[in-house]
Amino acid sequence: MLNTPITRRSLLGLGAAGAAGLMFSGCATERADGKIEVEIVSYKQEAVSIFEQLMDEFNAAHDDIYLNITSPADAVTIMKTRFVREDYPDVIGIGGDADYASFVDSSILANVSDCDTISKVSPAYQDILKSVTYVPMDGIYGVPYVANAAGMLYNKDMFAEKGWTIPETWDDMIALFDEIKAEGEVLPIYLGYLDTWTILSPWNSITINMVPSDLARQVNAGEAKFSDYYREPAERMLQLLEYAEDGPFAYSYNDACTAFARGQSAMFPCGSFAVPQILSVNPEMNIGMFAMPSAENPDDRIVVSGVDLQWCVAETCEHKDAVYEVIAFLNEEANVQTYIDDQRAIPCTEGNYTLDPLYDDIQPFLDEGKVLDYLDHSYQSSMACDAQIQTMLLSGDVDAFLEKWDTDWQRYNRSVIRKVQDYESQQ
Amino acid sequence: MAKDKVKERVNWPVTILLIIGLITIIFPLYMAVVIAFKDPSEMTNDIAGILSLPSTWSLDNFIEAIQVTDFFHSFMNSLIITVVAVVVSVLVHSLAAYAIGRNMDHKRIFKWSYYFIIAGMYVPFAILMMPLVKQTAVMHLDNMVGVMILYVVFYMPMNMMLYTGYLRNVPIALEEAARVDGASTWTTYWKVIFPLMKPMHATVAVITGLAVWNDVMTPLVIMGGQGVNTLPLAQMNFQTAFSTNYNLAFASYLLAMLPMILFYIVAQKQIIGGVTNGAVK
Amino acid sequence: MASTAAKVGSGRNKTFMAILIPVLVLFCAFNTFPLLTGFFYSFTDSKGYGAFNIIGIQNYLDLFSDARVLNSYLFTFKVAVVATLATNIISLMLAIGLSSKIKFKSALRGIYFVPRILGALVVGYVFSYFFTYIVPAITGSESILASTEWAWVAIVIVVVWQACAQTTIIYITGLSSVPEDVYEAGSLDGAVGWDKFRYITFPLIMPSVTTNMVLVMKDMLMVFDQIVAMTSGGPAQSTESISYLIYNNGLSGGQFGYQCANAVIFFILIAVVSILQTKFLNSKEEQL
Repeated sequence: MLNTPITRRSLLGLGAAGAAGLMFSGCATERADGKIEVEIVSYKQEAVSIFEQLMDEFNAAHDDIYLNITSPADAVTIMKTRFVREDYPDVIGIGGDADYASFVDSSILANVSDCDTISKVSPAYQDILKSVTYVPMDGIYGVPYVANAAGMLYNKDMFAEKGWTIPETWDDMIALFDEIKAEGEVLPIYLGYLDTWTILSPWNSITINMVPSDLARQVNAGEAKFSDYYREPAERMLQLLEYAEDGPFAYSYNDACTAFARGQSAMFPCGSFAVPQILSVNPEMNIGMFAMPSAENPDDRIVVSGVDLQWCVAETCEHKDAVYEVIAFLNEEANVQTYIDDQRAIPCTEGNYTLDPLYDDIQPFLDEGKVLDYLDHSYQSSMACDAQIQTMLLSGDVDAFLEKWDTDWQRYNRSVIRKVQDYESQQ
Repeated sequence: MAKDKVKERVNWPVTILLIIGLITIIFPLYMAVVIAFKDPSEMTNDIAGILSLPSTWSLDNFIEAIQVTDFFHSFMNSLIITVVAVVVSVLVHSLAAYAIGRNMDHKRIFKWSYYFIIAGMYVPFAILMMPLVKQTAVMHLDNMVGVMILYVVFYMPMNMMLYTGYLRNVPIALEEAARVDGASTWTTYWKVIFPLMKPMHATVAVITGLAVWNDVMTPLVIMGGQGVNTLPLAQMNFQTAFSTNYNLAFASYLLAMLPMILFYIVAQKQIIGGVTNGAVK
Repeated sequence: MASTAAKVGSGRNKTFMAILIPVLVLFCAFNTFPLLTGFFYSFTDSKGYGAFNIIGIQNYLDLFSDARVLNSYLFTFKVAVVATLATNIISLMLAIGLSSKIKFKSALRGIYFVPRILGALVVGYVFSYFFTYIVPAITGSESILASTEWAWVAIVIVVVWQACAQTTIIYITGLSSVPEDVYEAGSLDGAVGWDKFRYITFPLIMPSVTTNMVLVMKDMLMVFDQIVAMTSGGPAQSTESISYLIYNNGLSGGQFGYQCANAVIFFILIAVVSILQTKFLNSKEEQL
């Protein structure tokens, strides 16, 4: 029924032939001055000044390679339009997210397992990156650079002043919430659920501790159902509502950041990525982060962490050596330290780094590799999982939520499931 | 005589009603202005904080917005694109509307052309976007010229509709008189019809101009990432994935608004001027 | 004599064709052609870039069983009908007022046009504040942005607020061809004025009414920016417009082929709606 007269392979062949014939602009083109140009398009627009600085350093030290890093606004759209034009940058800097998965799926990215820098990347982040693609890939399609983490952000000064301690179990946390609520001065947490993606932060950190780490893959292989695992996380999400602002669905992510920054709430279940926005409202604030205590045994707690920036090389790139030299340069310890200081990031490579005080409480987890990727990286964005959770939180109907989730999953992941099953049958 | 007197009398009740109605405009505008002057640390989550005046009326946000957006370059690019798109639209669309409007009642090909073009109005941009990215690249139009051409095409359906509607009010006798005098259709159009449509030119210019001036998607996908920015493209710098500097963004939006307000006021004079024109005819 | 007239006539026709053909070529090149390309993609599983497979009419079959798509159509048409009527009524009143002999005419016309100039981010943000903090403080109720039942009303208010500016100037332009004292009477003499308006002014500006009804309806059916700025389709997907779904899922969500199919259906549907609308309004024009 699903006849595919044009097979993927033949189309790829056609595309490659077309690209070779047209060659709008080659990858790593040679410049008039004989240098090889390496072009990087990075989606980290907020890090533009760091990369400009690193770029100047690199170019001053090299007379054979010219490095050009750009960080345009809405870079992912720009990358996609350049792919359409078959005008591939040598390197794209993106997160280990759904866009990355779909770029890999579209055969745009090259296998970089021959890049020396890979050996410096900590195993945890290599695994995290592997878990992002729809089907397990044999190669490695990106060199992880830095990561972010999610859990519970808390107001360090407020905790110190009130003598509150960091909860290690769910019950401890609820007890702390009750205590804060009873005092009535501030809210225990602020949610800001108007923006649906904000809901994914607590959802990820709660759920990751309560379900098998490869649940999505099990479901795709027809071995499990979400409804067997997602009931408890859903109930805990509902429980959080009792300790947040009234009507959290009216308040945006920005409102939540502002409220937390102004001390209206003691905690904010979000990620390190929210810190710049919070600090823009209150630059003096001391923010900490602790692991969401939703594991049954405190020793099993896991921190959600994902690759925030990685270097992916275009399949068409012809100067991989020059590109690898650039990647090696960017991953030099001093340069990584510069980046993580400025962006409050977590390095993905092993080395002797000083992390931002924000990570004091989760440093042990990072050191021991007790980290797993954001669950939503395995959700199809067109399925609007965040909106489904929002619907459940509004209606309180967990049964309907679970049923719809399983049905929709099958529908939106049809092609992925087919790929996974093909893959498994080949194994 | 009595008629003239009525005309000169100011209609105060309507004036006052309209001034009261301004609240609906002024209030949101007030909020935008106040936010544009505030520092991010002055943003709060309650009514008092939202409506309060900024602690100082410093122009820092505006200066920083000018720097971040590379205002004068982006401004010039936006201006060039807008002016060219508007001028070409007014000339081409009015001419096309004349050709179609004068013939669509009795010639099938013009009638179908009209509906064909009007139907283009309902094509969602999202479906055209990726094909256009590819097409403009192949045609070497992935630049400002391509963006201008696209605008002329995108606003053709709406402008066609506006012009053909207006042309129905322009008596055909006028051009017939010119034709009897031996003028060609081409000359008649530019000498007689085009000037008569002045109020509609102003309206089309304002509507097209504003849509082009504020549009971000077309330049983003057609010429984004090449270092050439329009103002709305540059304004995207205030918004990253996880943080938005509304204060700077608002300052820059207010700056970008000013030329459009001036443009609108000038165009308004043309629309009002059209009334006297009509009276003469 | 007759031959001269024919000659003039054919010269006139040649001129008209010489105008029409290049315009049609331009239009086809940058509208029809990419549309056909998009139509082709609606039979694929393309993400908009990279490799893809042809999957026949699967996308269309899926569309008709997609509850989310159906809801977005219901929402969009509900907003479009209410907002189109509201915009046209308010704009016509404003246009009549702004065309009367009033003081500060230029300034008033200028300020009433401001909403059209403001970008979607400003409007969305300001109105989010308005609905989140100011309205609940006055009424003592919860924000309507958080209500699956009422969030659409907030969207209607914002789109009407912004759309009135453009609609008003089209009405003002239309009114400019009507002698001033005729329509001004409507606001002066009460009931008599109303009748005058109904029977004299209104018929005269009926072409503007048709244009505006169609244009506003089209804008409302394609509502997008305000949704992004205010609700992102929430709460619980209750304010997802068709354009929002097409854009969001098609380009960010990797469902380009599927959403192309959605766009094709949407295109056909609103083209039909507007043809019916024009036919209906035109018949009214002729009656008057």
